[in-house]
Amino acid sequence: MSSRIKVLALLVALMFVALSTRLWFLQVLATTQFQQQARDNSVRFVYTEPLRGLMYDDRGRPLVGNQESLEVRVNRDAMGTQAEAVVYRLAHLLNVPVRMLVARLQTNRYYSFQPIPVAEFVPPHVRDYIAEYQELFPGVDVVPTSVRAYPQGRTAAHILGYVSPIFAGEYDRLKNKGYQQSDVIGHSGLEQVYERFLRGSQGIQKFIVNSNGETIRALGVKAPTAGDDLHLTIDLRIQRAAERELADELARARSGHDINGLPLKANAGAVIVMDAQTGAIKAMASLPSYDPRWLVRGLTKSEADYLYKSAAAPSLNRAIQLGYVPGSTFKPITALGALKEGFATLGGYYTCDATYTHPGDTSGTVFHNWTTANLGTMSLAKAITISCDTVFDGFGSKFYFSYVQNQLSDSGLLLQNDLRELGFGAPTGIDLPSEGSGLIPDPAWAKTRPDLFPDGWVPGGDILTMIGSTYMMATPLQLAQAYSAIANGGHLCRPHVVDQVVAPDGTVVKRAEDRCNRTIPYPPTDLAYIRGALGSVITSGTAQCSFSGFPTSQVWVGGKTGTAERPPHQDTSWFAAMAGHNPNAPKYVVIAMVEQGGFGAEAAAPIARHVIEDIYHLPNNGQGGCAVGDR
Amino acid sequence: MDMVAGRVWADERRPVRHIDWVLLLLTVVLTIVGLVLLHSISATTPDEAAFWLVRVMKQGATAGLGSLVVVLIASFDYRFFKVYAGFIYLGALVALVLVKIPGIGATDPSGVAQRWFAIAGIQITPSEITKVCAIVMLAAILSEIRAPEPALGDLVRVLAVAAVPLVLVFIQPDIGTSIVLAAIVVGMLIVAGTRLKHLLVLTATGLVLIGLAFQLGVIQDFQRERLTAFLDRANVSEDARYNLDQSLIAVGSGGLFGRGYLKGTQTNLDYVPRQHTDFIFTVAGEEFGFVGAMFVLLLYALILWRAIRIATLSKDPFGTLVAAGIASMFAIQMFVNVGMVIGIMPITGIPLPFLSYGGSSILVSFAAIGMLESIHMRRLS
Repeated sequence: MSSRIKVLALLVALMFVALSTRLWFLQVLATTQFQQQARDNSVRFVYTEPLRGLMYDDRGRPLVGNQESLEVRVNRDAMGTQAEAVVYRLAHLLNVPVRMLVARLQTNRYYSFQPIPVAEFVPPHVRDYIAEYQELFPGVDVVPTSVRAYPQGRTAAHILGYVSPIFAGEYDRLKNKGYQQSDVIGHSGLEQVYERFLRGSQGIQKFIVNSNGETIRALGVKAPTAGDDLHLTIDLRIQRAAERELADELARARSGHDINGLPLKANAGAVIVMDAQTGAIKAMASLPSYDPRWLVRGLTKSEADYLYKSAAAPSLNRAIQLGYVPGSTFKPITALGALKEGFATLGGYYTCDATYTHPGDTSGTVFHNWTTANLGTMSLAKAITISCDTVFDGFGSKFYFSYVQNQLSDSGLLLQNDLRELGFGAPTGIDLPSEGSGLIPDPAWAKTRPDLFPDGWVPGGDILTMIGSTYMMATPLQLAQAYSAIANGGHLCRPHVVDQVVAPDGTVVKRAEDRCNRTIPYPPTDLAYIRGALGSVITSGTAQCSFSGFPTSQVWVGGKTGTAERPPHQDTSWFAAMAGHNPNAPKYVVIAMVEQGGFGAEAAAPIARHVIEDIYHLPNNGQGGCAVGDR
Repeated sequence: MDMVAGRVWADERRPVRHIDWVLLLLTVVLTIVGLVLLHSISATTPDEAAFWLVRVMKQGATAGLGSLVVVLIASFDYRFFKVYAGFIYLGALVALVLVKIPGIGATDPSGVAQRWFAIAGIQITPSEITKVCAIVMLAAILSEIRAPEPALGDLVRVLAVAAVPLVLVFIQPDIGTSIVLAAIVVGMLIVAGTRLKHLLVLTATGLVLIGLAFQLGVIQDFQRERLTAFLDRANVSEDARYNLDQSLIAVGSGGLFGRGYLKGTQTNLDYVPRQHTDFIFTVAGEEFGFVGAMFVLLLYALILWRAIRIATLSKDPFGTLVAAGIASMFAIQMFVNVGMVIGIMPITGIPLPFLSYGGSSILVSFAAIGMLESIHMRRLS
């Protein structure tokens, strides 16, 4: 057999000889020719844009859709010698000034061979005309494109966000992610945060072209995949109600006056409705606002100025992006801290004098209650109900003493640590962009502000934070999160706007779950006690007037007014509420805030009341704001 | 003769002491080369790059599984395969028949061929497995022929046994695997001592049959076009010539030292169709040049040297014939695949062992290595 194996080996050896010879020929002798051919080979890519994902409210009602726009695009290279005439004819046909057209063409955002969009939503007859007289319009193309549609108009504009063309500086970062210079991208709201889901993937067609640019062969075709849809936690009905009540109340508040007799400006405000048990945002309104449809058809100069340059800052989502001094809405939160550290007890009584001086303080600093009357001693619940500042000032002193005694360790900053545990001083992590952190004043921060704290941390730092005043800052959303924890028995739920991300084939790509996995270290009895106090605020406290006639037997409501001084501006009006059929586990937390709106009971409380009435299909009652209460 | 000497002698003959480490090392190196080449076929967009990364990892995982297959098969005494050759052969035939039945066998996306089973998401290609099964069966028959040269009757019997899977594979249609099967038969017949006269008659008959297949329309149009594109390059459509042209440009532009890893434009811009499977050799040719291509060929030459060496070392005709069959299989696959890439063989769709992407091809190649090891380890017993 072994001689025959040699035959086999010989045959195999011949194979190698044949292959090596041929390789030598191809790669060594003839390589120049093949290298030239490799250079002549080139691929042209043609992209098909995917349909962007849609957005729905919690019951599947459409919030953001897509619509077709006929877009006129001009390829500057292809206009040739007729450029001037073509632009003139096109301006005439589109009925726009020539200089506007020229302005859109004189951009360096595009390469000269890339078509530049110059007009959107042109009528079909324009397309037909250009097609018919194409020789008069070299380089001009009318193509159908898909753009955003907003079936609910301005509703929820801040949440939904908008798409707009990629900025010049942004493209470098995005070009490796399959974006083209001419693409749009989410620049705000959910459009921004969920860009990678909403976008879908481009269809790509590759063509081999030869050195003359003729297509030799189609290489591969990848069909575009539509983006994933977002199913929001927002309830369109509540969202509309929140926006309407906020707008109505801002308008009404402007007819009122501040304590100096000047008309209230009530220039801006925000409302949040959050499901206290899950962290799901049911509504979030912020005024002033804008219309996302402006961006679809292209901003006019005045719209762009209003949106990006005006002092009104309508693109700001005030519910989450700005920190405000929370005022007395902060008292239930600091009360929890005082209980936890043993500075207050459920059975204790505290003096509510007209003024308060920190024990041993000789600087002459005096803290005033909102009333000059001496209200005697009272329980913690009562102090919340009537919003007594001086009771809380006393707790502030105790926090300050604990700081003095433990200056060298972090554990001395009891108040600040308690507030951080409740979610203040850091973004809540909601799925919306540019969330604010607010501010918890502490000794380290005081060092950076010698203008405010020339002697470093002083008792006033803790005392003022106790009543949510002066330096303490919180976003309305942080308040909503903390109040939800009080409502749900101690779970800090991460607020969220998107419930599910669903792929075009129906599979759930992402789901909001386990958002309430942080617990705060407060016994249920303390939380129930605070809820009871909040209930009394409505029935017999600072919001009694604002909620007069409200059917609390049908829907339990607890809340807290806040009137935050903000010199030189007028006071910020706050109301933080919780409502539900079960007083032990209220379903909703409603936060209302009006910039320069006066007393908490005056502007914000009526908004919260009306939103709660709308949620529970109750008739809107009450005489509106009451210029009373804590200041 | 004392007990100690006897024990030493027995220990000396334990199969595990006779592993062919060179063969194993070559297999590992070739597999790694394959993953390196596969990784280079990542397209320009990140989306596709991620897709390719998955493929590289999948191929790596398959190779890992393949090494288990090597251990498993090598640990069996290869002579068991002779005992069960009939069952192995029949099993392969059943699989070949089943894969033709719609609903059981999966269809090629192009709709022209039915070639695989999808079991738990894994594609199993019966025609690949048939190659080793046929080797075992043919070796079992040929090793039982006691005469130095097989008689004509024996030849007819062997050819009849070989013809059944060959025809089944051919009508799939899988011309590539049919060629491999035919080459295996010829290779094994040579080693079995078949007379030159008989071999010539056999070759002539084969050519006549191929001619008939063309005439009777058994060969499908796309296959005919690929074959004619090879024979008559001037008179075929751009599309039919495209594969070969791009493949030649890729290999030819590599030059002596190649264009550098991940720098081949032909490779990266996806000019060469089916580059990860049948045309994987173009990556070596373009990015590593003549030197790289020759290095890959050298690895194959060394593996074939080990296989032929094992055929020589085996004292048992069955072992010799199995090793010879495996050597024939690797040799013809390597020759036809590289040959078509560089334009000296028609385009037929034969995977390059250890390099081409594809689970069944890799696993069958590893199984063949396992059998070679089994023979090598037990050559003294």
